[in-house]
Order: sequence, then structure tokens, then C-alpha cells
Amino acid sequence: MKTFLKALSAATCGGAVAMALSVSTAHAEEWPTDDVRLVVPYAPGGTTDVLSRRVADLLQDEIDANVIVENRPGAGSTVATGRLARGGRDADHTILMASPGHTIGAAIYPNLAYDPVEDFVFIQNMIDIPNVMVVPADSPYNSVLEFVEAAKEQNMTFSHSGVGSSIHMSGELFKTLTQTNMTAVPFAGSGAALPALLGGDVDVSFENMPTVFSHIQSGDLKALAVTSAERSEYLPEVPTLKEIGEHNLDQFVTTAWFGLIAHESFPEEATETMQEALNKVMEREEFLSFVEQLGAEPGTVAGDEFKAFIADEVARWDKVAAEAGIRQE
Amino acid sequence: MENFTEVLQLFLATENFLAIAIGVVIGVTVGSIPGLTATMAVALALPFTFSMEPVAAILLLVGIYKGGMYGGSITAILIRTPGSPASACTLLDGYPMAQQGEAKKALKMALYSSVIADFISNIALIFFAAYLAKIALNFGAPEFFWLICFSLTIIISLASGSMIKGLIAALLGILLSLVGLDSVFGSQRLTFGNYNLMDSISFIPLLIGLFAIPEIIEFYRKKVVPHLTAKASGAGVSWAELKHSLKSIIRGSLIGVAIGAIPGTGATAAAFISYSDAKRRSPHPERFGKGEVEGVAASEAGNNGVAGATLIPLLSLGIPGDVITAIILGAFMVHGLTPGPLMFQENLTLIYALFLGIMLSSVILLFVGNAAIRYFSLIADIPKAILFPIVLMFCVYGAYAVNNDTFDVWLMLAFGLLGYVFNRTGIPAAPFLIGFILGPMFEDNLRRSLLIGSNDLSIFMRGPITWFFIALTVGSILLALYRFMTSRHKAKRRADDPGKGA
Repeated sequence: MKTFLKALSAATCGGAVAMALSVSTAHAEEWPTDDVRLVVPYAPGGTTDVLSRRVADLLQDEIDANVIVENRPGAGSTVATGRLARGGRDADHTILMASPGHTIGAAIYPNLAYDPVEDFVFIQNMIDIPNVMVVPADSPYNSVLEFVEAAKEQNMTFSHSGVGSSIHMSGELFKTLTQTNMTAVPFAGSGAALPALLGGDVDVSFENMPTVFSHIQSGDLKALAVTSAERSEYLPEVPTLKEIGEHNLDQFVTTAWFGLIAHESFPEEATETMQEALNKVMEREEFLSFVEQLGAEPGTVAGDEFKAFIADEVARWDKVAAEAGIRQE
Repeated sequence: MENFTEVLQLFLATENFLAIAIGVVIGVTVGSIPGLTATMAVALALPFTFSMEPVAAILLLVGIYKGGMYGGSITAILIRTPGSPASACTLLDGYPMAQQGEAKKALKMALYSSVIADFISNIALIFFAAYLAKIALNFGAPEFFWLICFSLTIIISLASGSMIKGLIAALLGILLSLVGLDSVFGSQRLTFGNYNLMDSISFIPLLIGLFAIPEIIEFYRKKVVPHLTAKASGAGVSWAELKHSLKSIIRGSLIGVAIGAIPGTGATAAAFISYSDAKRRSPHPERFGKGEVEGVAASEAGNNGVAGATLIPLLSLGIPGDVITAIILGAFMVHGLTPGPLMFQENLTLIYALFLGIMLSSVILLFVGNAAIRYFSLIADIPKAILFPIVLMFCVYGAYAVNNDTFDVWLMLAFGLLGYVFNRTGIPAAPFLIGFILGPMFEDNLRRSLLIGSNDLSIFMRGPITWFFIALTVGSILLALYRFMTSRHKAKRRADDPGKGA
């Protein structure tokens, strides 16, 4: 026992010395010089959380640091994003998994203390998930045009997973573009919204692909269109709203995107290191099979392109939120 | 069944047994720590399951879920701090029992009741999944609305003592539940522009503050070290006591199953409904809230009855009813499996292997729970002067851990003060919690129904399920009125004839 204790204390001392050395030499090294914090602006369990943990896990192999996931939920991701925007001591080692909440949040909370575009460095968009316009299996409408014609005559209801979600805003965008009568019916999350759609209580929904994919396959829901710019490889026979074109639908292109951002002071060298590492992550089999399970597609934009995309999104949702009257004053 | 050997082959792997055991142990431990919920534990365990075999992966998560459901009751009983929201109701009778030196009895009853309810819930999952899922699909907003109306009428019985004080508590609960974003228009309600309040008031800081803090204040205000209640080990549950509570346990389990099978209600509501139902049927309802072992049994049966049943909509329809099942859905998908009707055709062997594992998890919960009780009940023997500072530390930590935010710590302390005021003025906490939990469900489903029906009220009477719950609601109100009248009649007779009464 005594020898064990001795060995233990010796090992602890050795460890302490090693740590002290590693700290003193850290300054000379390249980024990262510390653990990287990946902030998830939502509670554990959602798509953002699961994706972040998968990415953190793979990213650790590519950069010379631990990647620690931290959940900071609140006010549709704006609490965590506001905190990131304030910067701070470890801003050069903090990244955040942003999602449509970033751009939509900026549209519906006008008193945000940050600029959703200028206050951040946009590192890499990781995945895009298209939304699917779905109707119940026994719905009389078999195409988007049939649906639009009917919705001009009578009131339609669409379910969504909460005010300001990409599902909600897609519905509002559809309503604004096609000038139809549609009422939003809110639910607490997609899990609660789905039975209302399957049971025919609501007429239509613009749900995320992974939520409804199996129900489309089993024939319980009919997919009328996908919201992405290109057809989805998972539903190749379903048209995009953009290609339908009529009733201003050529302007309807939206996906639920998930990408990494950081404080504007994030070093350029760090951004480059991260992009390089993330590109390796995005080529790995573990990542690709995960993306496939989500019914998603790997993100394509990074850096300035990513930033320009965000700027467009912010402008678009700003307009939709104003027209739909869901802005907080 | 020709595939039975295949099922057994899939199930009888060491990895599966280990996964269930480790899952239940993690669940009980995490569940018993205030602020750390089973939901968090399941989310954090998810990445570790990516590399496991599918059956073991799901069983690990289910084990954590079930263990966490029970674990929450341990600290609720011992230190009046619910480890998870669903165990808030267990505390109403569990803590008074611990104070009277019956901690072990309360813990054992909570365990037995949890295990029985869990078992019944599993049976429902295995044999009636397809049938219950069909009903769940017909359960839209108007049906939900009437279910909540009916629940509210049952809960009237919780307002023991002064009806006025009960109403004050319930309305205050509803008022506080309004804080946050409006669910239809997204406008801010009672947030005073504070971003921390936009997601509404966090339930866990509220619970911890409301129950644990007043005890601590009370202790230091009196400035005397109370005589130890001791005998923490005390007596366990006798066979007669278990038999006496068995009806309540079974009824509570069935309430849990019904609520679990419908997406979006939750274990906390099930526990309160089961508890109120047991109180209403009890020959001596006045003992509830003062350390009635049947109250602990009913509450735990309600929340554990939910656990197996939430897997019904998940497995048979692919619909997650709460956050935990949403995470489990994620685990299925990572392994290339999509829950839903197709899975019953394509992966039947796997489903049966899962069912076997889920049944086994009930048994393992019994053993792990018994071991946990042996060590945890020692807490009741710790002198309060030492115990309470530690409890306070856990309160602060637990409130912080929910959102990693100091705002919640302040919130917890504010509810601590409110709880203290409640204690001093005799305002009951249970109706307050009911208002806070059911108030938003009532509002959301009322508004949802009106939106779906374009403001046409006939949607509230659209089919057999609504008729059924309307009848129950009306019946329940009439019964309450009848009891009220007869008790008044009796009281009057007693007053007329003072020699006979008292």
C-alpha cells in the first residue's frame, strides 16, 4: 500500500511538472493552444446537440486539442449567441454551432445586442437539411399547384414545431409568396406536431426531412415538394418548390443549415486550421453515414460565402417576420 | 414462433446485460442528483452508443431513462429536493415520512411501486402497442383539452384544508406559467424584456427552491439543532402495506400508461393525477400530505407507468413523445433503424430482443434500487447542521446545471422565499405546481383546437373520445358536488344535534 501511495504521489508530481511545461511552451505553438469549447445554443437532445457531439468527437482527431461540448439553451439560441458576441478571454478557442435560429432569431427579436452578420466569423457550414412540404395520405391534394388553388379559396392550416422554427417560417414564407389563406398551428416540438398531421387535423406542414422521411416511405404522408434548391437524393421524384416556379415559388429556397461560427476576434490562422480540419471531418465515413441518417447533405459554403449566405437569410426572414406580424416590439 | 432462437441469440449477449445494468445504475445516480435529469444523462450517453451493437445501445439509454425515473424520488424523500421534476409529487408524503423516521419505508415503497408500474407499462408496450398507438393518433388538440379538464376536476381534491388558499396557490401557478413567449404569436408575456425569461420559468430551479430552501431557512431560523430523527434505516415496507397500496399502484400505473402513450404530456402530470386519484378514493384522505405511504406509492406508480408507454408511439409510429424518446429515436437512426410500422415488419427479431431487455430492466431496477436505498438512507442519519449546508450547495449547483446559467440560481432562491412564505401562511404547494404544469397545456390545447377548427366550437365535440372525456368531466364535477352537499348536510345535522357528533 505504501509503495502504491508513493508511486501515486510521484506520478502526480510528474504529471504536474509535465503540465507546467506544456503550459510554458504553449505560447510558442500554433493554434490551438488550449481546449476548444463548442457551444450548443440548445438543450441536449436536439439535432443541433447530436450533430455537435458527433462533430466534436471527430474534430478531436484532426486538431491537437480536446473539443468540449457545452449546452447553453435560451430564447431560441439568442442567449448563447449573445454571449459569444460579447467575446471574452477564451473567445479565440470558442466556437458555436449555429442554425436557422441564428438568422430567424435576428428577425423576430429586434432588440438583440449583436449583429448576426458582422459580429462573427463564419467558419464552415456543416450540413443542410431540406424541409419537405407534406400532406396527410388521404389529403385531396396531389400537387403543390392543386394545393395553392384550393388555399386561395379556403383557409388551410399548417402545423409547426414552435414560433420562429424553420418549419414555422417556411410556412409563413409560403403563405406570403403564394398570397394564400393559411393559419399557423403551433406545437411544442415536431414530436407533438406530427400526430396532428398524420391524423389529418392540419392540412399541411413544412417539416424537416428526417422527421417525416419514414412516414413518406410508409405512405402515411404525401410529399408534394422539397424546399432545397436541388432535388433531394432521398426523394428524387419529388420536385423542388423552385422548379414549380408559379405563384412566386421560384423564390422559395430554404434549408435548415447547421454551421460553426466564432467571435469576430477569432484569429485568421485558427479559422484556417479549423476549416482544414473540418474538411477532413466532412470526408470521413463516420460523418457521411451520420449525415445520411439525418436525411441531410454535407454543407458546401465556408468563410465569406457562408457569411454572404447568412446575410441573405437575415434579410429574407426579416421581411417574412414583418409581413407575418411575428416580430416582437 | 420460429424466430425465437434468433431473438434469444440477439438478446443473450453479455454486452446487453452490461448495458442495462450500467444504464440503470447511471440513471438512479443521476436521477438522485438535483438538477441532473435523466434527459441530460441520456443525451450525454448517446455518443457512447454509436459504436455499440443496436440492441445494447438502445437498452443502455432505456436503462438510464428508467433508473432516472426512480432515482429522482430518493432525494425527494430524504432531503425534500426532487432529483427530477417527475418526483416532485413523491415528496409530498415521502418527506414527512422521512421526518417521522420512516425514510426506509418511503424509499422501499417508492421502489416497489416504481418496479410494479414499470412492469405494467412494459406489458402494455409489448402487447397493446399497435392498439394504443392508434388511439394516440386520434388524440388531437380537442381530446387533449378535455383530458386536461378532467384531470383538473380530479385535482380539486388536492386542495385540502382551505379552498381559498388552494385557489390562490393554483392561480399563482398559472400566472407564473404564463411567463415566456406566447405560443401562437411569439410575443413576450411577463418577461419584462429579460431574455432569460423568454423560454418561460425553468421548472427545476422552481422545484428545488420551492421545497428544499424553506426547510433550510426554517432550520436556521430556529437556531437549535433538532433531535435527530434517527432510525433512518427503520422498518421497510410490510407485505400488508404493499397489499393495501396495490390498488392505487395498479391504477397509477394505468394512468401512467395512458398518459405516456399520448405524445406530449409527461411523467410529472401523470404522477400528480395518480396521486390525486388515490387521495380521492382513500377512506382517510386527510392523511395524504402528512406521510401517507399510499401517497408515495401512487405518485411513483404514475411517473414510472409513463416510462415504458412513451416507447409505444416511438416504436409503432416513429413519434417521440418527449425529449428522452427523441434522443432514443436518434440512437435508432444512427444504427440505420427507423422506428415506425415498417420496423415491425423488417426488424421484428430486434424488437423482441429489445422487449426482453426492457422487461429485464425492471428486475435490474429492483436490485439496483435496493442497493441504493441501503446507502442513501444513511443520509437521514446525518445531523442536519452538517447535512443542510451540503444540501444548499446541491441546490445551487442543481439550479445552475440546468442551463449553465447563474440566472437560474437567483430564480431558485426567489422560489425558496416564495416556498417559505407558503409554509408560513399555510398555502399548499401542490395546487401551485398543478397550475404551473397543467395551465399551459390547457391554454395551448384550447387555442390549438380553435385554430384547427377555425374558431368553430363544434370541434370540442367531434368524436367518441371527446364525448367520453366530457362525460367523465361532468361526472367528476357532479360527484364532487354530491360529496360537498352530503358533508355539509352531515355537518349541519351534527350542529343541530351536538350530543351525537364530534
